[in-house]
Amino acid sequence: MQLFMNIMLGFLLVCAIAVSLSKNLLNSILIYMSFSLVMSIIWILLESPDLAITEAAVGAGVTSVLFIITLKKIHAIIKTDKEEEDDE
Amino acid sequence: MSKRVPEEQYKKTFSFRFHQWLNGTKDPYLDTVELRPQEEPKQTDEDLEQEAKQRIIREERAYNLEHNAQARLFSKLYRYFAVIMCISLALVLLTGVSYLPKFGLMEHPTNNEVPARYIEQGLQETGAINIVTGMILDYRAFDTLGESHVLFIATCTVLILLRVDKKKERESESNNDRVYEPKNDVILQTVAKYLVPFIEIFGIYVILGGHLGPGGGFSGGAICGAGLILYLNAFGFAKTEKFFTGKTYKAMCFGALACYSLAKTYSFFTGANHLHSVIPLGTPGAILSSGLILILDICVGLVVAGTMYTFYVMFRKGDY
Amino acid sequence: MEIIEWIRMLLGGALLLIGVVFFLVEMIGVFRFKYVLNRMHAAAMGDTLGIGCSLLGLIFISGWNWTSLKLLLVIVVLWFSSPASSHLIARLEVTTDENPKEHYTEKMIGASADCAEEKEEK
Repeated sequence: MQLFMNIMLGFLLVCAIAVSLSKNLLNSILIYMSFSLVMSIIWILLESPDLAITEAAVGAGVTSVLFIITLKKIHAIIKTDKEEEDDE
Repeated sequence: MSKRVPEEQYKKTFSFRFHQWLNGTKDPYLDTVELRPQEEPKQTDEDLEQEAKQRIIREERAYNLEHNAQARLFSKLYRYFAVIMCISLALVLLTGVSYLPKFGLMEHPTNNEVPARYIEQGLQETGAINIVTGMILDYRAFDTLGESHVLFIATCTVLILLRVDKKKERESESNNDRVYEPKNDVILQTVAKYLVPFIEIFGIYVILGGHLGPGGGFSGGAICGAGLILYLNAFGFAKTEKFFTGKTYKAMCFGALACYSLAKTYSFFTGANHLHSVIPLGTPGAILSSGLILILDICVGLVVAGTMYTFYVMFRKGDY
Repeated sequence: MEIIEWIRMLLGGALLLIGVVFFLVEMIGVFRFKYVLNRMHAAAMGDTLGIGCSLLGLIFISGWNWTSLKLLLVIVVLWFSSPASSHLIARLEVTTDENPKEHYTEKMIGASADCAEEKEEK
């Protein structure tokens, strides 16, 4: 269980750094979503299921939906030019 | 004993002038401050063109790195200083954390008589099997009340910021917003038809089971709100506005917050320690138990569910 | 009786392994494919089949109790929601794609194709 916890913590660190380093805002939101999911798993490992439920529902669900709508409102979801083959 | 002041003397006092100013009968600055109608700035097209040219030149000077030594220096050093700043901040924080006592130790300073009492007598005093819920909704219900109000205030702020007044703007915005979106998607509607009731039931279960197991008002409310958002996405605004409009939200939120505040104030007036609570604690483990906690859970759940849904609607449409 | 236990454990383990293999395939596919729809094809496989196999394996291991029922419910919910969301993303991609001819060729199947042909004839 300690190994699993360490792996999850490492994933958390990688997510946290990747959110700030990613150039595409939509990608940052998706990474933030995965951050919240991993965080909720860690809450379960720390034996606080209340927080885990809240984190999964609020962090991964509602917050990212609101973020995505905001990006849409401010027209920030644009195609990265010259990258036709892959785009979210 | 008060004395009647003659009218001429009263007219000289400050309060007379203040009342005059308050009622709008006399402007105190009428003769002292010189007021002129503001002149309309006379701008011809040439002036505007010149201004634009000058602005472009200025911006070029400011942003062109070849001619701006300061900007060049800044762009060179910015990255290094940012990295150094981040590392030093992380170091400071990590050294601070390293002095903290280890998680879960007996000698931990938070391991004093307060959690001991919560654990030992929480079940008797609050009637909730889930000690966490007993803590946040009974011992520390005041904090949770503040949290609910913070949510409500956040909704108010979003309302102020995103409200679209004119009808035309709203229509054009909503049209622009939903051009590329799948409308009346059969697959999504079918899935939503079967899934939304289960999501709502699960949310209500989490709300009602807050004192029996993991869960509570906040998480259950978030789940309910997410279910409502799914329903809205599948069937559009026309169907959701049949049962949930801005008025419903306001009434629901106000009712829940008022109920919460009144219930909590009542318990504070009766000694803040549930000494004379009217509502019986009931048998621990039953749904109708643990006194006020169930009611407060329902209130918080209503507020949170409405707030989540309202956030979504405000961001999408700008109005109910 | 012990043989049944052994068979159950082996079956559960085998299903778990199959699920993990599907996850691996999914991950490789997501990283190797270049176009959104191809990637989603790979990702959807792991989302449905991989998770289904893994949870089925867990059900076999845990036996006949409430946990198994909950896991079954998780499978049902995932199989409801994941294809629906994939469908939405795919539909959005198809409607907003700027040069679809590079990515795929359109083919109409069934009744809608007949309707389209009739329209063209008229």
